[in-house]
Amino acid sequence: MLDLIIGIGTPLVLLALGWFVGRSREKRHFQELDRREQLCQDMLVTQLKSFPSYVFGEKPPRMLVGEAVIATDYLKSFLAGLRNIFGGEVLSYETMIVRARREATLRILEQAQREGYNAICNLRLETADIGGSGVSNGNRKNQKVMSAILASATAYNAAQSP
Amino acid sequence: MIVTNTETVAGYRIVEIKGLVQGNTVRAKHAGRDIAASFKNLVGGELKGYTELLTESRRQAVERMLGQAEQLGANAVVNVRFTTSAVTAGAAELYAYGTAVVLQPGRDG
Repeated sequence: MLDLIIGIGTPLVLLALGWFVGRSREKRHFQELDRREQLCQDMLVTQLKSFPSYVFGEKPPRMLVGEAVIATDYLKSFLAGLRNIFGGEVLSYETMIVRARREATLRILEQAQREGYNAICNLRLETADIGGSGVSNGNRKNQKVMSAILASATAYNAAQSP
Repeated sequence: MIVTNTETVAGYRIVEIKGLVQGNTVRAKHAGRDIAASFKNLVGGELKGYTELLTESRRQAVERMLGQAEQLGANAVVNVRFTTSAVTAGAAELYAYGTAVVLQPGRDG
């Protein structure tokens, strides 16, 4: 009987933890991202290699990098597991990747702002596999679901040409 | 040393191409980080330990790349790219590569 309570109770507690703590943490993170993106609004961000019709200042350009690793919560991995049965869009993992991407981009923008640059060009985003999910380790249960994003860009000091 | 991930550098002219330079590093996470990550997987959120690991690896790979560029006598590395690969579960490789060049201030062309 005790085994049964522990067997059913533990996942239920973890699901509740995901529902209450995970959701509020995610909401707070999104609010923080919105606020920080507002602060970086006057930054010129493109993934072009050069800016037509812009002139560049005396300050030499610099490559900036940013990275973010975001993990999912228990409830979301559970829901994603269910989704795996029926197929379709896995929304719970989508928000995780969006969070990582926005966070990594923001880290570049904030660093550029601190160092006195006002334009970012050739912004590149890529995913990194650090959890080892691309390697068969025969231990799928222990796999951690996470999203690691590496961002890189070149920061310039630019002004609209007259 | 000027480092960019664009092929050209605005305001500078490439006068000499020294060749491909590269740097790599394979890093493993220590067990403490793995345990912390398992807890984070319950409530979600940023895995600070892994982010740090990526930052350190990237710095190391770039440093090695710049060391090569210096040896070749370049004063800039352009078109830098990064790739990662998972060697085994628990260790990841970060590879940085770019083209070492000699830059001179002046208009492109």
